[in-house]
Amino acid sequence: MVKVIYIAADGTQTEVEGAEGASVMQTAVAHDVDGIVGECGGSMMCATCHCYVDDEWIAKTGERGHDEDEMLEGAASEVTANSRLSCQIRLSASLDGLVVHLPEEQF
Amino acid sequence: MPLAPVNEDITFDQLVLDPYPLYHRMRRETPVVRVPSVQRTFLVKFNDTRMVKDDPELFSSDDPRTPMQPAFRAHTLMRKDGAEHLRERKAMMPALTPKAIQCEWAGLYEKFAGEYLDRLPKDGPADLFTDLCGPIAARILAHILGIPEATDEQMIRWSQNLIDGAGNFAWRPGPFEVTDRANEEMDALFDKAVERVRATPDASAMSVMVNADDPIPRSQIYANIKIAIGGGINEPRDALATLIYGLLTNPDQLAAVKAGDDWGKAFEESVRWVAPIQASSRLVTRDTQIGGYDIPKGDTVMTIQASANRDEDVFGPDSEDFVVYRDKNPHQAFGNGPHHCAGSHTARRTVGKIMGPMLFERFPKMRLPDPDAVMWRGFGFRGPINMPVIMG
Repeated sequence: MVKVIYIAADGTQTEVEGAEGASVMQTAVAHDVDGIVGECGGSMMCATCHCYVDDEWIAKTGERGHDEDEMLEGAASEVTANSRLSCQIRLSASLDGLVVHLPEEQF
Repeated sequence: MPLAPVNEDITFDQLVLDPYPLYHRMRRETPVVRVPSVQRTFLVKFNDTRMVKDDPELFSSDDPRTPMQPAFRAHTLMRKDGAEHLRERKAMMPALTPKAIQCEWAGLYEKFAGEYLDRLPKDGPADLFTDLCGPIAARILAHILGIPEATDEQMIRWSQNLIDGAGNFAWRPGPFEVTDRANEEMDALFDKAVERVRATPDASAMSVMVNADDPIPRSQIYANIKIAIGGGINEPRDALATLIYGLLTNPDQLAAVKAGDDWGKAFEESVRWVAPIQASSRLVTRDTQIGGYDIPKGDTVMTIQASANRDEDVFGPDSEDFVVYRDKNPHQAFGNGPHHCAGSHTARRTVGKIMGPMLFERFPKMRLPDPDAVMWRGFGFRGPINMPVIMG
């Protein structure tokens, strides 16, 4: 299992364990983490799983793809260099302890 | 495994009048059930409907035999999968993102909302379904799509014509004659709109599609606009009408929503409680199983999100009730998977966050004297068909 820490816009921290191969969005939804909606189930259609990868982890989570970039352009909250769609980040052993920050709103 | 049980008793008319008691019973007794009157296998549980929509390879939207084809005179993105669906959808999305709604459309909607509310009587009776819910949905949609020349009456009529045609599973000629005329009217108006947005690009769906670097074919641009007309009026109209009903029949919740400015929550509960789009079809592409039953290739399953949204296992014992302040509300009113409603952001922001508070602030004494006078109709699409309130 891989540990993920979600930090909501109000500072609330939720720590959960996700399976390797699951996405950061799926892990949040499976554990009822507020602030990640993920309504389209990971098909990059809704932009409601926007997150900001913590600076410490940005090198390990990889770059965002072209389609992801296009979807993020329309996201409800401010998009920064650390912005990702959490459905596009897959958990692996190297991401154990991953910290992501959640935006104020997803829609 | 056995095939799913068959329910011969249920008629189409029963489903149109009030499907909820039937779904309630199906969830308990036959969560996967074949319904001959609709020629579909119904899935009424939350996990089943979600699973189907999240797996577009096994459960395809591609249906070449749909009456949508003659009704829209096109093979539309609603009935496509994979790369083709994605390309056509993405062509229109820039006009429908949360950012576009915030920057381009929210202000315009607020202005229209103000004007349409001004037209309502200050006191006495009004039917908010015909006088507000339909027209305001039509007006903002005409602008978002880039066809502001279309009148409210045209938008509403075309939308209903397209829906009637798309649902013409009996393949009667009448509804297609009506859609033929509507298509002529729309195509003529779209031709002019294309000229205008070519000369003066704007943020509308027509403009972003026409002026894209690598545009989709003109036929598909028009098909997309028609899909948005067919799917972009009744849904916000019905969501607003349901919101009004839910809050006026639950004054304690209305007071709490006003006090807490919880209009977003109220909107989510409205579309959970009575989902404007209640059911969707998917074609089974290979033999599979759902809920312990064999589902053969070639079968058409119907995800009943209306029922999934009231699944007791997810929403608890009060799942049949309008309860704004639920702990969790992961409803499926906008669907999920690749065909997740492209208009969800528009609906949430306009109906939920703008119209709800404006209407109830403007008419604080509005009431619904006889909730039983409100008539609800529809199987595929559902909502009130009247909303007889007293304004003040």
